Amino acid sequence: MLLSPFALCIKTPLDNDKNKEAMDLSLPVEHFVKRIKMASDWLGRTVSWCSFLMVIVMAAVVILRYGFNLGWIWLQETVLYLHAITLMLAMAYTLNKDEHVRVDIFYRKFSQRKKNKVNLFGHLLFLMPMCVFILFMSWSYVAQSWLILETSQEAGGLPLVYVLKSLLIIMPVLLLVQACAQILQIFFEQKRNQLGETK
Amino acid sequence: GGEKSSSGEIAEQKQYKWKLVTSWPKNFPGLGTAPENFAKLVNDMSNGRLSIKVYGAGEIVPGFEVFDAVSQGTAQMGHAGAYYWKGKMPASPIFTALPFGLNAQETNGWLHYGGGIELWRELYKPFGVIPFAGGNTGVQSAGWFKKEIKTVDDLKGLKIRIPGLGGEVMKKLGAVPVALTGGELFTSLQSGAIDATEWVGPYNDLAFGFYKVTDHYYASGWHEPGAMLEFTVNEKAFNELPKDLQTIIEVATRAVNQDMLDEYTARNQTALETLKNKHGIEAKTLPPEVMKALKQASEEVIAEQIAADPTFAKIMKSYSAFQQKVAAYHKISEVEYYNNREL
Amino acid sequence: MEWLSLLMFVVVCVVLMLGYPVAFSLAGVALIFSMIGTFTGSFDQSLLNALPSRLYGIMTNQTLLAVPLFVFMGVMLEKSKVAESLLTSMTQAFGRMPAGMGVAVILVGALMAASTGIVGATVVTMGLLSLPSMLKQGYQQSYATGVIAATGTLGQIIPPSIALVLLGDVLSSSYQQAQLAQGIFSPETISVGDLFAAALVPGVMLVLLYLLYSLAVGVFKPNWTPKQSDEQKVSVPQILVSLIPPLTLIFLVLGSILLGVATPTEAAGVGAFGATLIALQKRKLNKETLQAVMRSTTTVTSMIFMILIGASIFSLVFRGFGGEELIHSLFSEMPGGKFGAILIVMVVIFLLGFILDFIEITFVVVPLVAPVLFMMGVDPVWLGIMIALNLQTSFLTPPFGFALFYLRGVTPESIPTTAIYKGVLPFIIMQILLMVALAFWPEMATGLPKIIYGN
Ligand code: NA
Ligand code: NA
Repeated sequence: MLLSPFALCIKTPLDNDKNKEAMDLSLPVEHFVKRIKMASDWLGRTVSWCSFLMVIVMAAVVILRYGFNLGWIWLQETVLYLHAITLMLAMAYTLNKDEHVRVDIFYRKFSQRKKNKVNLFGHLLFLMPMCVFILFMSWSYVAQSWLILETSQEAGGLPLVYVLKSLLIIMPVLLLVQACAQILQIFFEQKRNQLGETK
Repeated sequence: GGEKSSSGEIAEQKQYKWKLVTSWPKNFPGLGTAPENFAKLVNDMSNGRLSIKVYGAGEIVPGFEVFDAVSQGTAQMGHAGAYYWKGKMPASPIFTALPFGLNAQETNGWLHYGGGIELWRELYKPFGVIPFAGGNTGVQSAGWFKKEIKTVDDLKGLKIRIPGLGGEVMKKLGAVPVALTGGELFTSLQSGAIDATEWVGPYNDLAFGFYKVTDHYYASGWHEPGAMLEFTVNEKAFNELPKDLQTIIEVATRAVNQDMLDEYTARNQTALETLKNKHGIEAKTLPPEVMKALKQASEEVIAEQIAADPTFAKIMKSYSAFQQKVAAYHKISEVEYYNNREL
Repeated sequence: MEWLSLLMFVVVCVVLMLGYPVAFSLAGVALIFSMIGTFTGSFDQSLLNALPSRLYGIMTNQTLLAVPLFVFMGVMLEKSKVAESLLTSMTQAFGRMPAGMGVAVILVGALMAASTGIVGATVVTMGLLSLPSMLKQGYQQSYATGVIAATGTLGQIIPPSIALVLLGDVLSSSYQQAQLAQGIFSPETISVGDLFAAALVPGVMLVLLYLLYSLAVGVFKPNWTPKQSDEQKVSVPQILVSLIPPLTLIFLVLGSILLGVATPTEAAGVGAFGATLIALQKRKLNKETLQAVMRSTTTVTSMIFMILIGASIFSLVFRGFGGEELIHSLFSEMPGGKFGAILIVMVVIFLLGFILDFIEITFVVVPLVAPVLFMMGVDPVWLGIMIALNLQTSFLTPPFGFALFYLRGVTPESIPTTAIYKGVLPFIIMQILLMVALAFWPEMATGLPKIIYGN
């Protein structure tokens, strides 16, 4: 089932939980975090169809050319577009699923607390600066492309290069949002644990 | 800036370190040696005040990103082919080569004494990039074919790698243009995944080793009758240079532009000899009937481009006028001489 | 301040050990260093403007298109259980042999490897294909993961290989340059075809070495490679029947390349499409399976490309600190003549292989060193094969080999990373032995191309 993230964002989480500890912000924030994670999951599952489409179109390119002596540059480029869309839009989804590979000789033996620390530290120091940096650097590059509505350099190619280049902006934004959600989650998990310990 | 250059010492002392990114693998014969030669010339002429470091494709930016790199100031200069930027400016291929268009000698004439370069600079102006002629390969070969081309019908269904407007022309005659990376070219030709490819001319074609996997080499070029390359300079960086260094750049590009043609002229014929004597490859020409069909299709393709883009139309007006006149003269001078020489 | 590039190298190694994702660590550490460098004025920050162009280049790289397609094929074969039935039948075919399933994996892997040369794709595909079955049969974790990682990297050396294609391009230019510099204006050429031919004998030798090792393991450590119980045994015709679909697939992929139906990249698509059809035919494909395949393909592809992006940012910053000059000065002061020079080149490439992927090394390092070596009279074809083998070994070497990252990405949590490290060691030794052998008998590489293409 494709669950739209937008439907989830309409009602505010605050209303439900007024009877809980008033000072504890963690619940609404956790709702928010949950929604972001669901949204990124939804996006990931949706773009994953592109990987299947890619297979179909690539097979079509081969069959049409070999079997029927037919070929179009734009059809070849479609495969490339699908590929780029899949991988750039799914970076955050992959982060959400914790599928970005680690050298986990020590990490796997760490306690959850220590793992959280590594992730918190890494997100703040490496991932988020990287995203901000890519965003900052790509802005004028992408804007330039939109300004002239850049088309393919190949005669007969797809005229949507500016859309393709926009992925350079969307990818870091999605990753940033995802990283923020994870940081908040770690933060409130820690806080919850502390509360649990003091009670 | 006039004062700076005359009042001397500060400007003279100042050292400039520039980067030049290219669309070619580092030291690619011919195309890749031109920027190296240019850098050396500039360094020597400026007594080291302007030192330029050359980067191959993929070292700093991929080959097809050279224009962006120069426009954004990542590198102060680039060396590439204008037709790579067709996606940004549909008219840019005019400044590399047009099917059945001007040859190297004529292109240089149009560019430097026929108003060409002004149109070119106007085209690149919005991107903050200044173009210079950057060498010419001379007439390029029609390419390497797995089967013989005897009639126009032999082109039907022919899977050929030929980028640019040449590909569109081929398509009009029923061929199937295939987009391939240089890396997959050799194996695809060997296995028969494609039936033909164009490349450059004997010098580069020999180095690529096409003779190992195809038998039919058609030397008669039509699609790139003298492909001109380009040096591009970031406008801001150029304007920051004192006048003498600007002139050095201008002179060095002119020198290298001519030098590349000289080199290809010398190397192509040696390579052709090697292809023949050592590898048994006989260079052929495409039959006149096929050439005629190609020419007609080319005219259609160019007419379509003119209709689609006003800038293309505007530049073509100057280009075609020049071609018409120069062709008339060259018919009784160059062509006549070539024929007479054979008497 | 070139030493900063070395420091960056060391720091990233330390950071990686903490276990934060490799891709972000590479990019993050590099960017922090670029800031330090900018403040201390030792860094050419204009280079950073190249970032969008480089990322765009990675995401639109035609050659890398094969990655998701091969991954899709691997996941499809795994999730539809075709892979499992293939390996079980092959194991039965080699049932009497020691380490039967190991032998089967190597043979399937060698065929798969032939079809592509992108380490990420083959390691992941092999891991998805064979690891579950091997574990199910009770194979020792180290041996199983070692075989898979090693077989997965075979793709680089067994033609047709993307790595050799790119290497061939660069070597050919360097070779010409060296000859022109020596005043030879009708230069000898090397082509991708030469490299493919040269890679054949070493590639087959590696496969044989792996097989020998597996047989030895089967004989001396039978508990690492348990045999199937008798009740699982099936008749020969049954085995043959179950071999049909997977063999068809391998024929589709390899055949479409060799028969000129498709380019190597497109063949990956043919394989993925074929795998889907086989799953359909076996009635193993429903909406859930398809979705699982697509999602798995998506995350694995994203993982691989994020590493490529991270490595690209890292190498850009490395260059900004003059890392290239550092390498250059290292090479220009090469002692000990030809042998010493080759040794240094090999060691440096091996070390760089930890952090930079083969595309970066091919385009950054090879053009730097190859012309110098060619001027000394080193054979270009031989050098190409040595570099390919060397990188293959580097990618397998713990703790930072790319093949290990990729395999880790598709290995169940229950297998410790150290098990993988232990498992690959014997294979690293075999590869080093082969390189030594090649150093003594270069004809192993240069012989075949001479026979095929003459001169
Ligand atoms: Na050409
Ligand atoms: Na291969």
